[in-house]
Amino acid sequence: MSKRLEVKIGKLTLKNPVMTASGTAGYGAELSEFFDLSRLGAIVLKGISLKPWPGNPPPRIIETPSGMINAIGLQNVGLKAFIDEKLPFIKKFDVPVIANVLGTTVGEYAKLASRLDEAGVDGIELNVSCPNVKKGGIAFGLDLKAFYKLIRKVRGCVKQAILIVKLSPGAPDICEFSRAAEDEGADAISLINTIPAMEIDISCRKPSIKNVIGGLSGPAIMPIALRMVFQASRAVKIPVIGMGGIRAGEDAVKFLLAGATAVAVGTAIFVNPRAPINVIEGIEDYLKRFNVEKVSDLIGGLQL
Amino acid sequence: MSSPSLFKAKVIKNARLNVEHFILSVRPEGIMPAAQPGQFFMLGIPGRLDPLLKRPFGYFRVKEDALEFLYRLRGKATAIMSVLDAGDEVEIIGPLGEPYPLPKPKKVPLLVAGGTGIASLYPLADAFGGEALILYGGRNSDELLLTEELRGICRVLGLATEDGSVGVKGTVIDLLKEFLAGKNKNRHVVYACGPRGMLKAVSELGLEGYVSVEERMACGIGVCLGCAVKTSTGHKRACKEGPVFRIGEVVFE
Ligand SMILES: Cc1cc2nc3c(=O)[nH]c(=O)nc-3n(C[C@H](O)[C@H](O)[C@H](O)COP(=O)(O)OP(=O)(O)OC[C@H]3O[C@@H](n4cnc5c(N)ncnc54)[C@H](O)[C@@H]3O)c2cc1C
Ligand SMILES: Cc1cc2nc3c(=O)[nH]c(=O)nc-3n(C[C@H](O)[C@H](O)[C@H](O)COP(=O)(O)O)c2cc1C
Ligand code: FES
Repeated sequence: MSKRLEVKIGKLTLKNPVMTASGTAGYGAELSEFFDLSRLGAIVLKGISLKPWPGNPPPRIIETPSGMINAIGLQNVGLKAFIDEKLPFIKKFDVPVIANVLGTTVGEYAKLASRLDEAGVDGIELNVSCPNVKKGGIAFGLDLKAFYKLIRKVRGCVKQAILIVKLSPGAPDICEFSRAAEDEGADAISLINTIPAMEIDISCRKPSIKNVIGGLSGPAIMPIALRMVFQASRAVKIPVIGMGGIRAGEDAVKFLLAGATAVAVGTAIFVNPRAPINVIEGIEDYLKRFNVEKVSDLIGGLQL
Repeated sequence: MSSPSLFKAKVIKNARLNVEHFILSVRPEGIMPAAQPGQFFMLGIPGRLDPLLKRPFGYFRVKEDALEFLYRLRGKATAIMSVLDAGDEVEIIGPLGEPYPLPKPKKVPLLVAGGTGIASLYPLADAFGGEALILYGGRNSDELLLTEELRGICRVLGLATEDGSVGVKGTVIDLLKEFLAGKNKNRHVVYACGPRGMLKAVSELGLEGYVSVEERMACGIGVCLGCAVKTSTGHKRACKEGPVFRIGEVVFE
């Protein structure tokens, strides 16, 4: 295979810059019915917590113009079942596996990270930006002091895997948080997570989702995501993984030009389970059409 | 069971049954998917941003090399579907979900349909080769579809409308209670599909059988966890462990 699409995130070499976004690919099994998972640059799995979580009561989702709002509430099988039952399946594929974790305390994050590191995942993404759980999570993504403390502690627990910090679009200053992650030794940052949002059903005068507020994702958030990736990538030297509304190769190219080293495809998978493959092929087409030798030549290539 | 696939299909016909109801017939590119009654497909218009997500529709039938869906006008997506013309292209994922299990021998299948719930029960009735009993309710005569065809594929067809324009005046639950009065409930396996309130009422009658739920879905393939249904053993995915659940499993609130 040609190395034209290769990118590096820390010590990991990805065969192409396209991943799944956490929470939109489950633990891999369902998507594997639609394409060979080995074609992905990496697979980022559904967020996990120390203990299984039941998630929020339904309804959990509502479509909005060019997007959707979700409040899944991190329903997940918990660390033990993830390692025993989910990880063995995905490890059979020739694809780097990135686990996404969410804790309510620094200690929980640390335990999750060290156990997963030992279990042999290729990357650990710290979710400090989930708008849908009451405790922890996003609190770390909005408070710079707590954020520093968290990354420092977790960094010490992760020996093999690369460490990615997923930032909140609600962070008071995205550049400051990006630099904090870099200072504390993160291998990469990823953004953006969903944006807090709501919808109302006027026929019954009720919120459309039970949790009232959820996270907005999909094409509707792409211009915001692009702006934040642009700002964050100028603030740090570590790679940035960009996401938010990506559906096609053209969208991914925009994120690369804005400064992302890799991209993740989320909501678009719901519309078309093969969307990540379409994005990979779309990037290849772009390289051919514009005579670009390799994808890494696009990174941060925005002409100002 | 055959695994799901993503495919394009050409619209052959989009027949209007009455003001709100249509049958969409499409010809898949490639082989015809082998769906079983109770399974569903996610259907959308490729490339569209609004509506963005595909919508779930029950497997209705395959007729003259076309895959057919019976649907009712509801909101954005179905409004767009209703103006599809022969030759237009749609994108489909399926077949998805668990089908209706078949009854133990000697039990008589009793199908309870509310409104467009008939869409997924129609092929089930057909699969029982004329043995099924069907109770079918709607608000008015416009909501009772294909009654002549249904008569041809079942043993008994009982109809109810809330306005009394056709059949018994009342809901399909009234009809069901009346039907069961004085009979041995254990002779039947019930299969119910319709609005939530109807499924709740069916579940409270102490019957053996199954309900098929309609939840909002984003992906339909089990990856988003958006379609959670509260069950006696925790949240389950309507699109994966469902949409068909054993009566008693779903906790209706
Ligand atoms: C497994 C399964 C099988 C199905 N099979 C069939 C079938 O065979 N035939 C059929 O006709 N239908 C079927 N349905 C239902 C069908 O999927 C819906 O009618 C369809 O998704 C409606 O899409 P829409 O865009 O037209 O309506 P939408 O605009 O999505 O609205 C649909 C309904 O959602 C609610 N809604 C809309 N907007 C909001 C809001 N802002 N807040 C809260 N609630 C809102 C309203 O109650 C509205 O009536 C099935 C559903 C499932 C889950
Ligand atoms: C249904 C759903 C579930 C998600 N679950 C998670 C999660 O568990 N962990 C996480 O870090 N992000 C989660 N996200 C956020 C996505 O990974 C992504 O950051 C966001 O949706 C923006 O990308 P998109 O517009 O391509 O979907 C979830 C998003 C959706 C829509
Ligand atoms: S609709 Fe996405 S998991 Fe069921």
